[in-house]
Amino acid sequence: MRQATLGVARFTGLIVIAALIGGVLAACSGDGASDDLLAKVKAANKIVMSTDPEYPPQSALAPDGTYEGFDIDVGTEIAKRLGVDISFETPSWEAITAGSWSGRWDFSVGSMTITTDREKVIAFTEPYYYTPAQMSVEATSDIGSVADLTGQAVCVGAATTYQQWLDGTLDFGTKTPDAAPADITVVSLNTDRNCAEAWQAGRQDFQGWLSSSTTVQGAIDAGLPVKAIGDPVFAEPLAVAFDKSGPDPTSMVTEVNKILDEMRSDGTLGSLSMKWFEEDLTNPAGG
Amino acid sequence: MHDHQMPGAAAVGQVRTETSAEIIEAVARSRRRDQTRFRTIFAATWGVLLGAILIGLLAANKIDPVFLGRWQEFILAGIPITILVSASSIAVAIVFAVIGALGRLSDRPVIYALASFYVSLVRGTPLIVQILFIYLALPQIWDGFAGIPTLVLGVFALAFNYGAYMTEVFRAGIQAIPRGQLEAAAALGMTDRMTMRRVILPQAIRIVTPAIGNEFIAMIKDSALVSLLGVQELLWRAQRVGTQNFRALEALLVAALVYWVLTIVFSLLQDRLEKRMAESDRRV
Repeated sequence: MRQATLGVARFTGLIVIAALIGGVLAACSGDGASDDLLAKVKAANKIVMSTDPEYPPQSALAPDGTYEGFDIDVGTEIAKRLGVDISFETPSWEAITAGSWSGRWDFSVGSMTITTDREKVIAFTEPYYYTPAQMSVEATSDIGSVADLTGQAVCVGAATTYQQWLDGTLDFGTKTPDAAPADITVVSLNTDRNCAEAWQAGRQDFQGWLSSSTTVQGAIDAGLPVKAIGDPVFAEPLAVAFDKSGPDPTSMVTEVNKILDEMRSDGTLGSLSMKWFEEDLTNPAGG
Repeated sequence: MHDHQMPGAAAVGQVRTETSAEIIEAVARSRRRDQTRFRTIFAATWGVLLGAILIGLLAANKIDPVFLGRWQEFILAGIPITILVSASSIAVAIVFAVIGALGRLSDRPVIYALASFYVSLVRGTPLIVQILFIYLALPQIWDGFAGIPTLVLGVFALAFNYGAYMTEVFRAGIQAIPRGQLEAAAALGMTDRMTMRRVILPQAIRIVTPAIGNEFIAMIKDSALVSLLGVQELLWRAQRVGTQNFRALEALLVAALVYWVLTIVFSLLQDRLEKRMAESDRRV
């Protein structure tokens, strides 16, 4: 065996050295990508949008595997007006809001709320629409107001503004929303709809569910045991987002702001909102 | 009965043979009957279990046929992706395993240490952590990592993991080659490397082939983990569509059934492969 193992050693040695050299080369050869996001997108003639297709009517899958929804339409329209093609990536919501996208996708039209925390890693455009945050309870619950949820458990999607509001860390920069009820136990699931799914499955691990009014209404319309309680707890400005750690998004933000203004003034944005929400949520007054 | 007409030694012998032939025949028949009975009851039990589940689900009226009709095609389109991910992961894992096994058999301490380090690192951490690490953490060290398509990342993560487990399988396969063959190869004037390539590895690969089949079947199930990276395989599709329509029951049921059928089909293929290999062993 000794002779054979010597052979083995030489054989392996070569492979290991080759693999190490390969690895080092791969690490060094970062492609000399453009430092400006707008220039990079224009050069590639393609913009990649991240979306969470578990969030109808903003983003959902169609049976043929394409995506549809308000955010999809807005993103596609932005790409069209930028004069580039669009494609979609579907990372988890946490991965989107955490920044450091490493160029896997270029922007998010994902109904992302502008918050002070997120602005540390994310560059936002002006808001493109506004949704109220709606508290809801299980259909048979006798909890009738948001204040009654004091000391109870409330479910939210992970890394959402709803979670931040319950944690007391939500800060829009301009105004701070009213405080959440005291002693709330936060139950955070992968995406907002998982909360409604838990009630659908008969689970009673939490009493309340906080999400956007459009998502709560979608669950009610689907016949789930959910009912909305009280007035919206706060209104959120939702914006297109870019990664600050990637190529400089400054000129891109300016460009997309211009496009959003055009879409607002020529009525495109409003009619897309009517199409998907049956109401115009694109004016700040609505919040 | 007719034997009684002719008494005599020869005739007695004949009676005996005929009777024993009858006995053998009767025993064989009863064994066949037992076998048929066993198979029938086996199949019936499976049928009853499947039927009970099916009827139970239908009777509970919890299955939405409209949802299934609308989405089954989209979910089932994940099958080729699941198989692609599993097959390519096993292929790459074999490369990792061969290198790992050679390293584990090396008598150079550095190389032995590298291989052991790899096996220990992989076997000591959960697969799901490895997958998330490669997807989310590595790009923060190397920017270039982010340019890699998630499908490739997923295959790499699965292969890296399975490669470590298969390292031990391959090592055993290599060590199963009798020492005499090495001496014979040396006597023929073959170099160490030639011995490895022409004598040891071809036989070792044959020895580990059934094990690779088992790993592949396990991989079909573990490939569901790359749904975390957004690779649109079976589970990803079932989960998205299930949550989007609040029909988790149907969606996950379809996914579970497909994984089950896939593993049954590949297990049967694996059995046939093993039988054929056993036959060719006998011919040798």
